[in-house]
Amino acid sequence: MGSTDRGRRLRWWTIFTALTMVVAACTGGTTDTTGAEATVPGATTTPGDTTPPDTGAPDTTTGTTGTTGGGEVVNPGLYVHAADDEPLSLDPAQVAAGEAGETIIIQVYERLVEIGPGGPDLIPGLSTEVPTVENGLISEDGLTYTFPIREGVVFHDGSELTADVVKYSWDRALTMDLPEGNSSVLSDLVASTEVDGNNFVVTLNERNAAFLNSVVTAAVASIVSQEAVEANGGVEAGVVNEFMASNAVGSGPYALTAWNRGENIQLEVFADYWGDPAALDVRIDQVADSDVRALGLQAGDYDSIETDPTFIGDLEGAEGVEIFSGDFLLEPVHMGMNMNIPEGALPPEDTIPVDFFHDVNVRRGFNLAFDYQAFVDGAMAGLGGPIPHYLPQGMLGYDESLPTFTQDLAAAQEAFTAAGYWDEGFTMTVLAEEGGIFEIAGLVLADSMAALNPAFRINVLAVVETQFDSAHAENPFQYAAWIKNADPFADPAALFSAYIHPDGEWGAVHNFRNAYADADQVASLVDEAAVELDQDRRVEIYQELAQILYDDPVWLIPGNERALMAHRSWVQNFQMNPLWPRPSIKFQYFDK
Amino acid sequence: MQIREYILRRLMLFPLIIVGTSIIVFALSRVGGNPVAIYIEHEMSAEEVAELEERYGLDEPLPVQYLAWARGVVTGDWGWSAVSAQPVTEALRSRVGATLEMAVFAAIVAVSLGIGLGTFGGSRRDRLPDHLTRVFSISGASMPIFWFAILLLILFWVNLGWFSTGRSSPEIFGSIAHPTGLYTVDAILAGNLTALLDALKFLVLPAITLGFGAMAIIARMMRSSLVEELNEDYVDAARAKGLPERLVLRRHARRNALIPTITVIGLGFGFLLQGTVVVEIIFRWPGIGRWMADAVLRGDQATIMAYVLFTSVLFLTVNMIVDVMYAYLDRRVVLGA
Amino acid sequence: MADISAAPTRLTIGPGPWAVRTRRFGELARKVLSNPTTLIGFVIIVGLLAIALLAPVVTTPNVPDPYQMPRDWGARDAPPGTPGHPLGTTSTGGDVFYGVFWGARTSLQLSVIVVGITVTVGVIVGSLAGFIGGKVDEILMRTVDVLLAIPELIFALAIAAVLGPSFGNIIFALSVVFWVKYARIIRGQIIHVKQNEYVDAARVTGDSKFRIYLKDVLPNSVTPVMVQATMDMGGIVLTAATLSFIGLAQAGLVEWGVLVSDGQAGISAGKWWASTFPGLMIFLWALAFNLVGDGLRDVLDPRTEDR
Repeated sequence: MGSTDRGRRLRWWTIFTALTMVVAACTGGTTDTTGAEATVPGATTTPGDTTPPDTGAPDTTTGTTGTTGGGEVVNPGLYVHAADDEPLSLDPAQVAAGEAGETIIIQVYERLVEIGPGGPDLIPGLSTEVPTVENGLISEDGLTYTFPIREGVVFHDGSELTADVVKYSWDRALTMDLPEGNSSVLSDLVASTEVDGNNFVVTLNERNAAFLNSVVTAAVASIVSQEAVEANGGVEAGVVNEFMASNAVGSGPYALTAWNRGENIQLEVFADYWGDPAALDVRIDQVADSDVRALGLQAGDYDSIETDPTFIGDLEGAEGVEIFSGDFLLEPVHMGMNMNIPEGALPPEDTIPVDFFHDVNVRRGFNLAFDYQAFVDGAMAGLGGPIPHYLPQGMLGYDESLPTFTQDLAAAQEAFTAAGYWDEGFTMTVLAEEGGIFEIAGLVLADSMAALNPAFRINVLAVVETQFDSAHAENPFQYAAWIKNADPFADPAALFSAYIHPDGEWGAVHNFRNAYADADQVASLVDEAAVELDQDRRVEIYQELAQILYDDPVWLIPGNERALMAHRSWVQNFQMNPLWPRPSIKFQYFDK
Repeated sequence: MQIREYILRRLMLFPLIIVGTSIIVFALSRVGGNPVAIYIEHEMSAEEVAELEERYGLDEPLPVQYLAWARGVVTGDWGWSAVSAQPVTEALRSRVGATLEMAVFAAIVAVSLGIGLGTFGGSRRDRLPDHLTRVFSISGASMPIFWFAILLLILFWVNLGWFSTGRSSPEIFGSIAHPTGLYTVDAILAGNLTALLDALKFLVLPAITLGFGAMAIIARMMRSSLVEELNEDYVDAARAKGLPERLVLRRHARRNALIPTITVIGLGFGFLLQGTVVVEIIFRWPGIGRWMADAVLRGDQATIMAYVLFTSVLFLTVNMIVDVMYAYLDRRVVLGA
Repeated sequence: MADISAAPTRLTIGPGPWAVRTRRFGELARKVLSNPTTLIGFVIIVGLLAIALLAPVVTTPNVPDPYQMPRDWGARDAPPGTPGHPLGTTSTGGDVFYGVFWGARTSLQLSVIVVGITVTVGVIVGSLAGFIGGKVDEILMRTVDVLLAIPELIFALAIAAVLGPSFGNIIFALSVVFWVKYARIIRGQIIHVKQNEYVDAARVTGDSKFRIYLKDVLPNSVTPVMVQATMDMGGIVLTAATLSFIGLAQAGLVEWGVLVSDGQAGISAGKWWASTFPGLMIFLWALAFNLVGDGLRDVLDPRTEDR
């Protein structure tokens, strides 16, 4: 009995010790190994060094957990991108700008013209030519656009592209006119659509400098298979097409093969694609937690990950990982100032009067007190910067020499003294979405103001997405200020209309007329630039506006970030274009 | 009270509790935030928001909306799950399997570890091994799951490359049919060993993470019960007869100690169910826990309602089964108290 | 979140004059602490309380709000040992040392307030149900059943998401969720005690119902509540940390859960300190209270009594 008992006890002890060791190893092992990794920044390989996929992977049975080094390519022939959230819809007529569905739509569907990989230049898509006044495809009055439709293009379901299908696709979005979708960019401008032989002809109701760049290239203007739609519910005004919401039948280089909710979306190279075929099949994994995305990239399971600038610094120097930092995005982080606060709406802690921001000194004071450096370093990993109001880098009219706010505490004190708040101080609540750079912008603001004057208190109310969106959609807006990023507009006309025009989208909500010294002057300048076809004159107007807005700002713009993505160094031709919908990559150009 | 009567009473209360639960959740999702918030973009005009609300019947008075929802549930129309862009019933069907499979495997970890540690500690009462197992099992319940899970991932994913996140290798996933949604069962049905091993491989880390947390409650209960049983007269009698301690433990004491332990499995199930939320987020597990968390944060009401309805039914059922089982096993229990 | 207090606890400090009870309580305390692991738990709790107490002494309270992390934007991701930042800084320049110390105060406030509220509400509701019985009992207990049917974390998540993530709202959400267990325990105990002979005896002597309740029933229900409350002290901090992880935390609040989830991204890049220290604190906090609660239960549980 004794020996059996001891044997049993021994077994128990072994299990127990083993478990303890596992736990100990978790904590101990991680710090050691990762510490070692972090000290070898030189190990990063450049894309050129990577072994080509066909020769580099003799083992074709590689699982999802492969080697962790930078050498052997994991998942040859397949590109895996880790996304942070799941599409709400794959229907071009339903997807909102900036929504995760655009990631898929941009690869699977095509538009008449596309924004090329290199920059802002347009390249032909399903139209064989990019219309210009010179080639006669834009009428002299700038109202009629003609698109010669490419022949021999087939959709993923085998049906053929014709000019009628193009018209059908545009009319479909216009007819459905779903409030959550983006069809208003079409309906705002398009007066009529016609088919003329093999041409698709669009007539606008007013001249617009940005029609091709920001309307024809938008996801909502994607061309869908008419056969597929008609076979699955057709088109009905105001009614969601459930088939199109979860399927995609386009003509793009990729065909949607599977959407496993909560897991992944799989795209396959489309064999009958009319253009240069893509090299790699694609799988987009849903990875909500940013830590897990970063870990998966290091493990080699992901080729690129949705990258938040707040953790980019942590990936720098990781073996086999590169960080792509491209052009500036066109969606600066900004703080809205409410000049239209309803009486009694503010939270009880707030001591500011409802006409707080009517005073230009207050608005300038905020702009002068903000610690831009802290924000750009702390939230954008140093990869970004403040901008002139309201011209992000890369936008038509942007120029380095334009006046840009920098932190100037003395000037800020002067402004707040002139406004009469220096001695008594104030408390103000700013609304932001929790997590990420908006919350950080709020914290930097709070710290900046407290550093300027301890009597200036900013409460950062960081709420979940659902609450932020609901509050944000309310008119009148119920808080004094909020932080979010601007919508990406490829052209300043749309941007100034939304964010600067006193009667524009936000001008109306926040009542910029309570703010501007000369609101009519701002209005007429913005209106003039929107219809002006002479680009030099437009630049002139926008720069004049930037000067006016420096003296009389209606936003606080903490910074504009660069397009940023961490990827494996074995990815070849990695590139981003901020003008493409997020995540600003097109898989068709990649190889590994 | 008779067992039959008791079950009947519980069954009758069942719908009442579920209706109560759904009313609470329904009310909650309307107090703050907008139930169509997930579709709302800040650029939307008030008219567009109103249009959306009309589409989902939100312009009706609240009781009417609730009844409409309840009617839908009864007729099988649970609404549209915006966070997964598919009908709720479809989303639920495809996700429940994932959560249940993880919970079952975590329960296996928790129960086997818990009973093992409980027996180990209880039979060595107040000696060093007892103290060590106590600290070990309680530390499972004291660990912030999200922290523990990341530590496991760093070790086993990034550094060792043994495991990954997700539920299966996509290429293996496609090689077999998934009639049940439980990948291990599907693999067995398909007779595909590779698929079975693959499914098990992906289950290891989440099951350990979750099971480690749920183990404590079982281990502690097992230990107390065992100590009690070992104090019973029959154990002394058996010992007096010269039965080896090992047999006393295995044949008598442990078996009897398992009975009260069953009661806490119901509670352990509750722990597992909510633990899945965090574990699913970190291990990218496509189950209902993550679905729910996502829905709460993004304001997808149809999903929240479906989740709560489903889990409360599940939770109540499990607890009832446990109560009844316990009642059968131990006639001393007074039901209805 | 961690609920390991399920074992029914039958032993009570019992009826009798207060002097007797006090003496029994002393005995109980001695007995509880005779277990070395419980003692360890107790020592850790004392240590954590000391940390909470000393926070304003060893660190300079942040102005204007000491419960906001002091952020040094110029010293982000500083490793432990950096002058002025003995435990390093977070990715937003928050001082981890400050976070560890003031986080203890946050946790203490959070758990004491929530336990205070939940025990009070639970005792009142449970007493009403158990003592009055009948229709009142039925209604109250069905309400409790309804609330118990929603998993705790999910319920707290939903409430906090609706109200918005502020410290006060988190307290409210946790209180709404945690009181039900006490109501159940108290009601069970009261029904159990009501059947005991000494209550009958008291009734015979002509004491009023309420007097019986105050004198005999309530004190006898204290011990299981004590066990549950001790464990909840840990569970509440764990649940709050989990809410922070999912995304419900007051911006910039000094709270361990916030620090862990913010700092986690850096672990794989070797920046282990920002999440490890606060993570360890959460673990120690929960462990200590769970150990003591568990030890308390062991001693109070008659089934494991020595004969």
